[in-house]
Parts: sequence; structure tokens; C-alpha cells
Amino acid sequence: MSNETYSSSNRIFKELFDEIGKVIVGQREAVEQILIAIMCNSHALVESNPGLAKTLTISTVSKALDLKFSRIQCTPDLMPSDITGTYIIEDVGGKKQFRFEPGPVFSNIVLADEINRASPKTQSAMLEAMQEKQVTVGTKTYPLDKPFFVLATQNPIEMEGTYPLPEAQLDRFLLKILMDYPSIQEENEIVNRYTKNITPAVNKVISKNEVLDLQKLTRDVPIAEDIKSRAVNIVIATRAKSEHIEYGASPRASIGIILAAKARALMSGRNYVSAEDIDAMAYPVLRHRVILTFESERKGMTTDQVVADILKSVK
Amino acid sequence: MDEFLIKLQKIKSGIYSRMRLLFILDIVAIFSIFYSALIILNMEYLINKTTFYIPFPVSFIPPALALLLGAGIAFLLHRKDSKINLHFLIEKKYSDLKEKLRTAFDNREESNIIVDALKGDVSGALDKVSSAQILTAGKLFSKLLITVIFLAGTITISQNPETYKIPEDTLDDISKIVTGGNGNETSDTAGNPEDFGKAGGIETKPRIATIEGKNIDLTIFPGYEQGVELKDVSQTQNQFIKSAAFPVDILGSNVSDGGYSILMKKTETEKQLINKFAVERSKI
Repeated sequence: MSNETYSSSNRIFKELFDEIGKVIVGQREAVEQILIAIMCNSHALVESNPGLAKTLTISTVSKALDLKFSRIQCTPDLMPSDITGTYIIEDVGGKKQFRFEPGPVFSNIVLADEINRASPKTQSAMLEAMQEKQVTVGTKTYPLDKPFFVLATQNPIEMEGTYPLPEAQLDRFLLKILMDYPSIQEENEIVNRYTKNITPAVNKVISKNEVLDLQKLTRDVPIAEDIKSRAVNIVIATRAKSEHIEYGASPRASIGIILAAKARALMSGRNYVSAEDIDAMAYPVLRHRVILTFESERKGMTTDQVVADILKSVK
Repeated sequence: MDEFLIKLQKIKSGIYSRMRLLFILDIVAIFSIFYSALIILNMEYLINKTTFYIPFPVSFIPPALALLLGAGIAFLLHRKDSKINLHFLIEKKYSDLKEKLRTAFDNREESNIIVDALKGDVSGALDKVSSAQILTAGKLFSKLLITVIFLAGTITISQNPETYKIPEDTLDDISKIVTGGNGNETSDTAGNPEDFGKAGGIETKPRIATIEGKNIDLTIFPGYEQGVELKDVSQTQNQFIKSAAFPVDILGSNVSDGGYSILMKKTETEKQLINKFAVERSKI
């Protein structure tokens, strides 16, 4: 099965991008990074202003991948059981008994919209499911279906009444994806597509099993020792004493960069990881893991600028 | 062993043999330069001048020293050859192997569908790779040409060393200047007292003055002070020296006049008698 998937991987990715492109105009980099996170069997955090088709993008991806999709709108009163599921009493043959009713987390792709609006308790329940790929309710543990991918979103504005994710929990997201406003041409195309009676439809491109095969193949992509060292050195450089960095990235970031680079290589139709893959994936992997100093933030610096400097300095 | 590894091994051994050839050519070229230099510097003569005991013929020393220097410098120039990453060299020359070759090599122990595909790609690409392209024949030929030129020059010099080597007396003069000297040595270089009076005798070899780099007043002969007037020995003996005129103003002063005023009071006859006595007295 893997052999067939590998031989047709170029076609699969091309068709995936074409199919998603029917609905989503532009945002190629964001779509690519979402697919990378799925192929790495990990999760992603998306930060963008409202109205940039975050929900539409992820639901389109789930349709193209033929995966079960659910959406959780996080609010301060959202309870852990609202996402993990709970026991309900039902009448079976005149007898009352508890039955577990799975929550929205029992899907393949979960969109946790505005995750920073949920209470820390609910966030923890969500993040536990992301990490363990299972949910424990009462004394019973329920494994989640494979593949399991959470796309959490954060709104960079309207920070009042939010519970920002702690750094330790941010570390569990492989990538932090930024979605920017479309160009004039793209916005014209969006207007043209969505002001007509015809709603663009998405066809299934691959099956769930093929997605799992791609996840296995991603880890098989070879990487040269010097390129691997470069990835590790980039992460170590974030921990060096710097006037811009308060806290550097953990070793999980090194794993993340290499894994994401492997997925990017496979997606690009290459059977090896290039240094270019490492550099490209360093930004989304380190973006939420590097904490800038107050002075740097005050000056308006971004983590991407700091990462760019590190990439220039690391051999 | 994977097919690409066998091909890679062949290419590597080809590159290494070319590197060895370059190393040997460097030894020969550097040997030629130093051997020529040692002949021109008349090393044999200089060694002979030293007081060290040398248990073998001195003529062996210049070629042996040149060979030692040649081997040493060539070794220093090529000391990093073994550390050169040939994968990078090949990837630099063949861009379609960029990052692929080292990835395949680093993962040579692994086997899965993607790694195997990569190994196959690399093996195919290695068919086009030739060691002659990595270290080009042009580079090898130019080095060979340079070596032959140097070697020919050395042979020419060694066949007629007398024509090219620095004269021994020049070396002596240079060695004196280089080692420094005392006053005697300076007088030797400035001229010989025996040459005084002869045409050009006081002048020394102009190149000494050039090597010194100082302006030497060659008109001053060593051993004589400036302003001394030399005269023949016979002229200086028994020479009459006229004394200064007796000072007139001494008369009438309290200072003794040596009997002059008493003499002047004598009569003419007495004066002539005294004068006659003084002349006769001076002849004794």
C-alpha cells in the first residue's frame, strides 16, 4: 500500500492543492502547512484576523482528505465534557444505564476555534487529547480515531476576556500558521466565486488509509547528517543568550523542524530533505516557541525576524 | 553493498590517485626551486666555511636539503587533502546530485521505499560523474607544465653552477657585513694603508659601500686624523723655527725681558763681540 501511495504521492498532492484551490483562493502557504501538520501526525495553531476563511480552509481540507470533521467554538463557559464527551443515562429494556456519548473531539480533524477563549481547564482537556490521542472519561479510556488532527485558531486582536495558552501547551502544536489578507487579485477572485448561486464543491482526493500511509512515508524520508545538524543548531541558537530572546525553543522544536521538513520534501516530490526545507519550516515551528524579550516586543520585533537572523548566522 | 556505493568508491579512488599525483608534482616543483636557490647561493662553499664536522660529502647537502624542504612544504600544502569532503566536491560539480549524494551516503544503512528510490537516483546520476571532471586534466597539465619548467631550470643551473652561483669573495664580504665587525674590519673594508698615494689605492670596492647603505667618506684614510698634513721625515728634522718677534710693549713693564735691555746698552764693539760669541757657540 505504501509503495502505491509513494509512487502516486506527486499526483495526490497536486490533486489536493487543485481541489482545495477550487474553494480557497490563495493561502497556498497556509494550506501547505496545514497538510504538513497532518502528514506529521501533529497539530497546528492558526493565527489570523477574522474573516480569512480559517474554518472554510480546514473543512475543505477534511473533505478533500475524506476525513470526519468537527468544529468546537471555544467560549469561557465551555466545559471539558463538552469536547471530550460525557456519560448519559439511557433506557435500555426498561433499565436505566450509562452510555458514553463521544464529544466533538472524536473526529479526524477538529477545529478548535478561538481556543484562547476557552477556560484553562477546557484547554487542558483539549491539549491532553491532542497529546495522548485518547480521552479518559471517568475510569474508562477511549482512543481517538486515526488520523487525529487539531487545528486551533487564535485571534490576534480582541484579547480581552481570553486565556492565552501557556508556553508549555503552545509547544504541543507543531506549527503556528499565519494567514494574511489576500492580494487584490485574490480578493477579486473571492468576490467573484462567492457572490454567485453556485457554491464551489470539493471532491475527495484520497482515502483515510492513504493519509495514514503518507504519515508513515513522511517519517521515511531520509535526511543528511549535516542538514540534520543545521536544524538542531538553529534550535540551540534560540537558547543562546540574546538581547531579543527571553526563552528559546525546546528539543521538541528540533524534532518538529526535521519532521516538518520531511513532509515538505515529500510534498515537493523529493526523496530527500533539503536545507531549504529546514529553513522554510523553521519559521512556523519556532514562531510560537521563541519568546521575545519585553524590549524587543516594545520595538515591534517579531519572532520571524529573530528566526531570520538565526538562519543567517547558523552554518 | 549498494550499487551507488560501489560507483562512489571507484570515483573516490580516481580522485585520490589524482591528488597523489598533484602531491608528487608539488614535491618536484618545490625541490627544483630550492635546489636552484641553494646552488645560486653557493651553499657548498658556505657549508665548507663552517667549522662543523660533517661526516659525508658536502655536495650531498644542497639536494638533500631541497628534497626535505620540498617534501615538507608539499605535505603542508596537501595536509587537508584527506579531510576534503569528496561528496561536496562531486555535488558542487554535478548540481543534480546536490544534497542527494550525501543524504544517500549518510543513510546507506537504511532501507525503505524512499531511501531505496534515492539510492537508485544517485546511482544513475553517478554514471555521469568522472574523477577527471572533479580534478580536471587542465589543472593537472598546468601543474605538470610548471613542474617541468622548474625542473628544466634546475638542471640548467646544476649543469653550469659556476655561471649562476654568487662569487665566493662576494659571499665573504656579505658574510662580514651580515655578521657585523670591529674597527679593524672596518679599516680593511675601507682600504689598505699600503695603497696610500697610489692611484685608486684609497678607494675600496663600491659594492661594499652600497651594501652598508651608508655614505662613507673614502678620502679619510683610517688611522689619521682629519687635517693632519703629512710631510717627508727628512724635512721635519733639525728644522729652524723662527720665534715670534719680541713684544715691544714688554719694555718698561715689570716683566723680565731676559737681559735684552742690558744688551742694548752695550757699545757697538761689545755687541759685535757678543754676537760673534753666540754664533761660534751655536756651532758646537
